[in-house]
Amino acid sequence: MAIRDDLITGLTTRLASSSVSVSTELPFFSGDIPLYQKNMKKVYLDEQQVDITEVYNTLDRGDVSQTETVINAYLCVDAKNSLTDIASIINLIQSERTQLTDNNQFIREVDLTTDFVDDKVVYTFEYRFIAI
Amino acid sequence: MSVINVTAGSQAILTLGNTAPLAVPGVTNGLVVPLVQDITISATPGTVRYSTLDSSSSSAFTTVNENEISFNMLVDEQTFFGNAALTNNSVAELGLLTTSINKTEIFFSVAFEGDTSGDYYVSGKGFIGGLAPTASIDQAVWISPGSVTVNQELSKNTV
Repeated sequence: MAIRDDLITGLTTRLASSSVSVSTELPFFSGDIPLYQKNMKKVYLDEQQVDITEVYNTLDRGDVSQTETVINAYLCVDAKNSLTDIASIINLIQSERTQLTDNNQFIREVDLTTDFVDDKVVYTFEYRFIAI
Repeated sequence: MSVINVTAGSQAILTLGNTAPLAVPGVTNGLVVPLVQDITISATPGTVRYSTLDSSSSSAFTTVNENEISFNMLVDEQTFFGNAALTNNSVAELGLLTTSINKTEIFFSVAFEGDTSGDYYVSGKGFIGGLAPTASIDQAVWISPGSVTVNQELSKNTV
């Protein structure tokens, strides 16, 4: 199962009782507006970007590679009337990185950036997983 | 004149055995150490330098050769800890760690060009040592140096 699918499954369960939901759609542009701005209070996960690099080269070509997977998640909410449980929602989305069960992942990170678009605030979570 | 290119993955081969025939490159039941990152053959003659009053430079004479094979490897479970089913070669059966602990003399070869007829290799006998496996979360896998302290001379052969 792809990491994106795992994240969607996990986030859907963990955010079930919150003010936001999780979409299985990719955050494509509808008109000139990305879907997550059009459908606020819905978490969208972008397509995963996968980068494979060799970590150890050996003389018999039994090389060891690492796979770095980066996935962006977006959540857009009203900036004027912030959600009462937004802190909890952010915390749940960030901590979802530790819920994946792939034991080969030895780095599980997430960065959060915040942007304002008109009267909306867009939270962008960049998940980064590195596995051997 | 040509360099020996090892990028094909089948040239530089370290083979170990409890007898000399079992350590020939490509031989059945020889223990080919997998996942070797680098390998070094040190063939160093011992020397003593001395000075004389009638010369402005020092002179030297040789003593005995000190030979060693050293390498770094990713730890392969079966090679490191042994495989009880490989009874034809006690080094493969017991693994590198137990062979080192037991201080058992082993035979080795280092192939330079592969294991096909006419390929050069260096061989000898000695003792496995220098194992120091390390692991860290950043490193992600076990890595260990290793060495064979050569007993007597290295010899040049072809397969």
